Amino acid sequence: MQKKFHRSYDSLEEIFRFAEQIFADKNVGQSIRFPAHFVMEELFTNMVKYNPDNSNDILLGVETADGGIMVQLTDFDVDEFDVTIEQQVEIDAPIEERTPGGLGLHLIHKMVDSLNYDYADRQSTVTFTKGPA
Amino acid sequence: MFQIDYGNDGQIVCSGRLDAAQCEKAQAFMDAVAEARVLDFSALEYISSAGLGVLLKTQKRLVESGTGLRIINVNNHIRDVFRYSGFHTIFDIETPAS
Repeated sequence: MQKKFHRSYDSLEEIFRFAEQIFADKNVGQSIRFPAHFVMEELFTNMVKYNPDNSNDILLGVETADGGIMVQLTDFDVDEFDVTIEQQVEIDAPIEERTPGGLGLHLIHKMVDSLNYDYADRQSTVTFTKGPA
Repeated sequence: MFQIDYGNDGQIVCSGRLDAAQCEKAQAFMDAVAEARVLDFSALEYISSAGLGVLLKTQKRLVESGTGLRIINVNNHIRDVFRYSGFHTIFDIETPAS
């Protein structure tokens, strides 16, 4: 199923509700739902944050199969930004050296089974999968 | 829906989902915290990296003044987020089973 969402943090509640309805209908387990919500939020808010003046909505697609999920987010008329390139994050750094922000992409890589990025015709598409443990 | 408030015992009780849309509310509350506090996460279902930013900013400020936050009743999902982030090394965290 696919649905477009307004480019705003305020869309998050509607996004979670949309995905959760699908997960519930297909009996997707809790161990998948939490990371799915987390990764959807990180990817969506990145799209909002880095292209705040873009008037296009963001397309979210959610599919289920064999107890797992495949989620795809598509952003239109944007520059390329490959989220599969993991950022270096010092998670063992003492608190004095920590700064808020920058953890999102690192955490995405920890939570998904696969993460793919495609860019063509100024269209960014990110796809991730998560299956039962 | 995210809620944050003081409980009867002075602990800070968080409930619901701390996502990017709720961080302004959480940060405004935490900015007024000036002493060591316990955060009760027993009713907090979800946290995103934006929520982690609120916790980190608050902890950095409190540690500089010689205090800090202790987080209790962390569910398994949020515990994993803390572990992947290295937050278990900069916060005193207690899970329900420990």
